[in-house]
Amino acid sequence: MSFKGRRVKNKPKNSEQGLAYLLLSPVLILVGGLILVPVLGTFITSFFRNVTFMPPAKFIGIRNYARIIKDPQFWQSLRFTVAFSAVAVALESILGMFYALVINEKFKFRGIMRAIVLIPWAIPTIVSARIWQLMYNYSYGLLNYVLVHFHLCTHPINWLGSPVSAFFSIVTADVWKTAPFMAILFLAGLQAIPQSLYEAARVDGASISQQFWRITLPLLKPIIVIALIFRTIDSLRIFDLIYVLTGGGPGGSTSSVSMYGFKSYILGDFGYGSTVSVITFLLIFVFTVIYLKVGNFSGGLKENER
Amino acid sequence: MKKLKRLGKIITILVMIAMVSAVFVGCKSQTLSTTPSQEQQSQPAPKNVSIVFAVGGAPSEIDYWHKVIDEFEAKNPNITVNLLKQPMDSGTRMQTLVTPLSGHESTPDVFLMDVAWVGQFAASGWLAPLNGYVSQDNYDTSVFFKKVIDLADSYKGDLIALPVYIDAGLLYYRTDLLKKYDFSAPPKTWEDLVKIAEKVQAGERKNNPKFWGFVWQGKQYEGLVCDFLEFIASNGGNILNKDGQPVLNSANNIQALTFMADLIHKYKISPPSTYTEMTEEPVRMTFQKGNAMFERNWPYAWGLHNSDDSQVKGKTGIAPLPHFLEHQSAATLGGWHIGINTYSKNKEAAWKFVKFVESYDVQKGFAMNLGWNPGRQDVYKDSEVLKKAPYLEKLREVFVNAIPRPSVPYYTKMSEAIQKYVNAAIAGRMDPKTALDKAQQEVEQIIKQYGS
Repeated sequence: MSFKGRRVKNKPKNSEQGLAYLLLSPVLILVGGLILVPVLGTFITSFFRNVTFMPPAKFIGIRNYARIIKDPQFWQSLRFTVAFSAVAVALESILGMFYALVINEKFKFRGIMRAIVLIPWAIPTIVSARIWQLMYNYSYGLLNYVLVHFHLCTHPINWLGSPVSAFFSIVTADVWKTAPFMAILFLAGLQAIPQSLYEAARVDGASISQQFWRITLPLLKPIIVIALIFRTIDSLRIFDLIYVLTGGGPGGSTSSVSMYGFKSYILGDFGYGSTVSVITFLLIFVFTVIYLKVGNFSGGLKENER
Repeated sequence: MKKLKRLGKIITILVMIAMVSAVFVGCKSQTLSTTPSQEQQSQPAPKNVSIVFAVGGAPSEIDYWHKVIDEFEAKNPNITVNLLKQPMDSGTRMQTLVTPLSGHESTPDVFLMDVAWVGQFAASGWLAPLNGYVSQDNYDTSVFFKKVIDLADSYKGDLIALPVYIDAGLLYYRTDLLKKYDFSAPPKTWEDLVKIAEKVQAGERKNNPKFWGFVWQGKQYEGLVCDFLEFIASNGGNILNKDGQPVLNSANNIQALTFMADLIHKYKISPPSTYTEMTEEPVRMTFQKGNAMFERNWPYAWGLHNSDDSQVKGKTGIAPLPHFLEHQSAATLGGWHIGINTYSKNKEAAWKFVKFVESYDVQKGFAMNLGWNPGRQDVYKDSEVLKKAPYLEKLREVFVNAIPRPSVPYYTKMSEAIQKYVNAAIAGRMDPKTALDKAQQEVEQIIKQYGS
């Protein structure tokens, strides 16, 4: 493009640009007001001692952050949250992939099957958490009933009673609920893969597993990375499931970072609660960056472009 | 392949939004501490005011509140009371109030508070002082339990709430089983309780494998602190001493906590689910289904145990909680208090409603219909009430001597630390001494942080 040409084009473009900004402004204001302002507010509040019963709010620098680093309960919550996310997301991905591969195949009643797979995802977490709570119930729960009734166990099991079994009980409930979410995303990805690739592979004599590892997985990679990011972000904020199932027990071993922050808000300590929120944000940020780097996300797209 | 690139961008934006939304939890606006203005006080209630009254509880209780509101509206045709239904769970009830109040919302205008939060609400300046109304109407506050008014409903010399009903921990027992196994009276000491429970449990298990000797509240939640306080206080211990210093790891407390853990692990008369599931309702239902000999619960369970669909109807007795040898029985003071939102625009109407709820007839109605223990002392002498609930006279003594939980604004934080370690100890994950040493340390930290 020549220098001259550009200049000529510039003039009408300016007014057009102005109009564009004008038309965009409601969205910008909305986004700014609804997201940017509260987010900045949280960052700012995290540097204050802002407790409802200790007025007035006072600037205290990074003392909230110093306090959080020294609090063993915070580290306990962080360890639990990260461990939970790692285990739950891994299981959800594997199970979700399995679901997706099954419901991607053509078979009778496929539509019904797809709908059934999605049901757990459609149930609000708080409701499914209550259902799981009833199933885990020591005296009247379904699980213990089956175990004892069919003589698989002599005594009922206290599912939420030890840190390890409580951990896996929560993971199970979470996997049951969110594996379908992974399945939807993977299914969308699977359907975008051209059938011709598989036909060509079959002609070349590739086995089913070769087709999966060489065609399906690489082409699904961008979707997998996105799904992992969404699920990881979500599970790092786990709250409702734990709130219903264990309340953070036994002995605080299943308290998550969100739960930890929530308790500060309940106390009326908004400064410290904000600090927890900021740290949650940073945690999620780190994980997202790692996923994007490891997933070689932008690189993958460029390759596709070629 | 430009499409893919754009897709990438969109995805990046989506991811950013999802990340940012994580911070949303923290977007509470800074609360500025304005002193509550009292200027609207003197206005007479204008025509057709509507106030919002927040209350939670069991379905039967909510139904009854609707009746109370209907009566009030009939007597005050210019005031409409909208009932904001809260959940049953006390912690959730608190959250549904903390959120609007910390945002300086004008509703709910009037609400019930658990005695445990009154300190935090008052210190945050959320409760309208009632002194003005009391003197304006010449309202007699001496009808209430003096200790409750002094310890729970006053803050820095102001009256900020009134007791609607009083709770204290009680021992429920099966009168029929007591007789069946040849015991003459409910246990006076914890040692007796273990003895009776072991024998009855062994006998009943033959027909009912789900039978337990003693059920109580042990899940990691506020109720655990109430039970814990009863165990330690009935062994001469406490959470804070008279000077407000924490004394959690005293020898008496360690002994009491050891006993709590032993109920589950050594005597095996309390189910392992005590420390994972047992809140008030699961405890009540276990007993009500006929699956327990003893139950620690609040007075509300009495009415339900004697309802028509209960399997222990007419077979239930109540007694003060047992104590350790050489010590006194202790009950945690619970109960719900009514207060007025300091940001309410209709405080005058709200006060009228408060007065109505505290009136003799309504308080008597609570005792007659819900089995609640009125905040007003004079109702305890009512012959009709005593006829329906003869135990009330005995309970009055328990209430007069009930021990309050520490009334400090940071109580919820303190309670959280105690819950965590006591729960760990009764779950068998920590020995009682270590647990209480750690709880002591954490509570000291909390006082250092918030006690200034």
